[in-house]
Amino acid sequence: MRRETRIAAIIGILLIFVASALAVMGIVPVTAQTNAYTAKYVQGTIPLDPTAELWQQADKGNAVLVAQLLTYPQRLDTQPRQVSYAAVSNGTHFAIYIEWSDETKDVPPVGSLDQFPDAVAVQFPVLAGEQPYVCMGMPDNPVNIVLWRSNGTVENLVAGSGYGTKGQQEQEARGLQKTPTSPIVKLPPEEQVWTASASYSDGKWRVVLARPTGGVGNFTPSLDPGSEVSIAFALWDGSKYERAGSKVTSGWMTLKLEAPAGPTEAQTVTATETQAAGTVTETVTQTTTVTETVAAATGSVKAAIVGFLAALVVAIIMLALLYRKGALKGV
Amino acid sequence: MVRAQISMVMVLDKCIGCHTCSITCKHVWTNREGQEYAWWNNVETRPGVGYPNRWEDQEKYGGGWVADNGKLKLRMEVMKKMDPPKMEDYYIPFDYDYDKLFDENLQQEQPSANPVNMITGERMDVKWGPNWDDDLAGGDIYARMDPNWRVLEKEITLNFKDVFMFYLPRICNHCLNPSCLYACPRKSIYKREEDGVVLIDQNRCRGYRLCVTACPYKKVYYNWKTGKSEKCILCYPRLETGQATVCTVSCVGKVRYMGVVLYDETRIEEVANVPDDKLVEFQRSLILDPFDPQVIREAREAGIPENYIKAAQKSPVYYMFKKWELALPLHPEYRTLPMVFYVPPLNPVITALDRRGKYMAEYKNILPTIDELRVPIRYLASLFSAGNEEEVRKSLKKLLAIREYFRLIEVEGLSRMEASKVLAEHGLSMEDADLMYKWLALGRERWTIPTAQKVKVGRMSHMKRGRR
Repeated sequence: MRRETRIAAIIGILLIFVASALAVMGIVPVTAQTNAYTAKYVQGTIPLDPTAELWQQADKGNAVLVAQLLTYPQRLDTQPRQVSYAAVSNGTHFAIYIEWSDETKDVPPVGSLDQFPDAVAVQFPVLAGEQPYVCMGMPDNPVNIVLWRSNGTVENLVAGSGYGTKGQQEQEARGLQKTPTSPIVKLPPEEQVWTASASYSDGKWRVVLARPTGGVGNFTPSLDPGSEVSIAFALWDGSKYERAGSKVTSGWMTLKLEAPAGPTEAQTVTATETQAAGTVTETVTQTTTVTETVAAATGSVKAAIVGFLAALVVAIIMLALLYRKGALKGV
Repeated sequence: MVRAQISMVMVLDKCIGCHTCSITCKHVWTNREGQEYAWWNNVETRPGVGYPNRWEDQEKYGGGWVADNGKLKLRMEVMKKMDPPKMEDYYIPFDYDYDKLFDENLQQEQPSANPVNMITGERMDVKWGPNWDDDLAGGDIYARMDPNWRVLEKEITLNFKDVFMFYLPRICNHCLNPSCLYACPRKSIYKREEDGVVLIDQNRCRGYRLCVTACPYKKVYYNWKTGKSEKCILCYPRLETGQATVCTVSCVGKVRYMGVVLYDETRIEEVANVPDDKLVEFQRSLILDPFDPQVIREAREAGIPENYIKAAQKSPVYYMFKKWELALPLHPEYRTLPMVFYVPPLNPVITALDRRGKYMAEYKNILPTIDELRVPIRYLASLFSAGNEEEVRKSLKKLLAIREYFRLIEVEGLSRMEASKVLAEHGLSMEDADLMYKWLALGRERWTIPTAQKVKVGRMSHMKRGRR
């Protein structure tokens, strides 16, 4: 048997072990996250307050976010992080609740030069049914991103030149005279559809992002009840000087938007906007319920098991292929 | 490939530290919210700490490049440093509540205006400011805080008779190898193809401030109001209409000189990578002779307009940095190839006059005299030549030679021909001396700025690779 084939076989087996080990630790390679979350269809008003009962009682999805390592700038620490999330829609609005641990509440004061906000981003494909390159899309398959920052801003953005697409980057380096397309662009004011409300307590950020359903412009997906979209998250920790590519990201996950049970009635309710976009409210002692903690824990165990099984299946297939090729005879 | 850059020389002997450049710059460009603390142009006193405080201490600030086995890396990446300077590193911007002078009720005492924090509007005690050390620099406290002082510590005492000082005006250096540009993950920073001005596209910038950390001169300023970073734009709207920058025009001491230099773009990476003591020499070798027919031909082929080529032939920067080797870059060891140059100070010129009104030193004694100047060569070398003292000596000797030449004519009554011997010794001609006299002494025609032309010049090839 040829030496190269044998080396390839050994490397293959090693990779499988590494992937399995990572899966057991809860770190799943970014593109392998396949868990689906169903956003319930609710009647009536969706509360914007993250501490509202609806959000605290809701079933949560979980996502593991790992350090972005493809491009500069990268994070100083490489620990993975986690978000739990819940989403609902009624006839008129879609809202998503995101919760994550962050030891420090970083809200840069006015006049600060060296402080950075904590931030969360939720990414959707622009084109229905597509799953673009997860690291900020591609020129012909862009992503829609809502970015919330602890200093009170929420932006609706479009990105279409992920860090994997070199040709596009070269184009951008040309400078102002060529009217460059940015890797990420803020959509015009009339397409800034998101409202945000946030609370920080017990070392956790809880953020609700809400917007009307139905498409706006060319780059904001409609998120209608009954549809299914891919969703991904990114997090920044201001106290660790995280900004730009220095972040943690998840892979694509599936978000199913439940259709109304009966025949669709015209909904008159709107999301209460008691807290204007941009205000950060401090809520006192919001303890996580026991059931929730258990749910979160089982969620990550589930993810680990799924990852491990996926790795195992890949391992078996690869071994079978190698066996057929006769590569394993000498090992 | 031949490329043109509009560049500047500052002659430090003439700077009187009046800050007119800073004030005019402030009033034209940064007199607005978010940039209160920012001085695109500032003047610091040396030896002193500068602005922001001890900006040359790259162990603290992480700016510039490091050469790592023939490969240039951003120091901030090597150091894994992500944080930009704090407001306190610059200073807390303050103003005075002047309204009080008019609104105060009639009383026994004169009304007085108190300092207020420009950001919060609250009363404050002013404890630090840009150039706070001003004329205290060179004194016992601030001289020791100067990062360049480390090269002197052992041999220089701060005895009154040995104390020295000079002013150092600073703007963005519009580098050939700008580390701010490379640090920007959004490619918001670009170097203009036609004149080399380094700019931040305000539409692309998202305020990540990696450029602020990456610039070793700390000449990129984050605007906390707009959430974007800003920097000296070399008054490009003025340049385009053939005018010099506002700091140049307003300079009381006629310190500043501006002009076009032609350089070889293809050698930038090679030159930025040479050992410390070769950096000045190699950077000089990048600058091309604007009278060389081949250079002119290649410049035309590269799309450089005629008026730029003509301006390059009249450029004080070309003469002072390249031809006469008078001017030196500021901290070339940061390897950004800065394009603002400084003629180091003699300060004071040469020994005392004797009873007959003659200098006690003869021109043959110029060599030993150089090392007896009040400003230690080693200190200047730490600022302007990455420690290469020979480069500083070369510059100072020529400055002395030109003085000696005119002294021989005016005081000794020698003929120009006889006196020119002292010039020849330093590779200068009588024409050079006349030009130097016109520029340095009389301060005439200190800039030649070509108006902008609608000409297509190619993209910066060395910028093409972008990040990684």
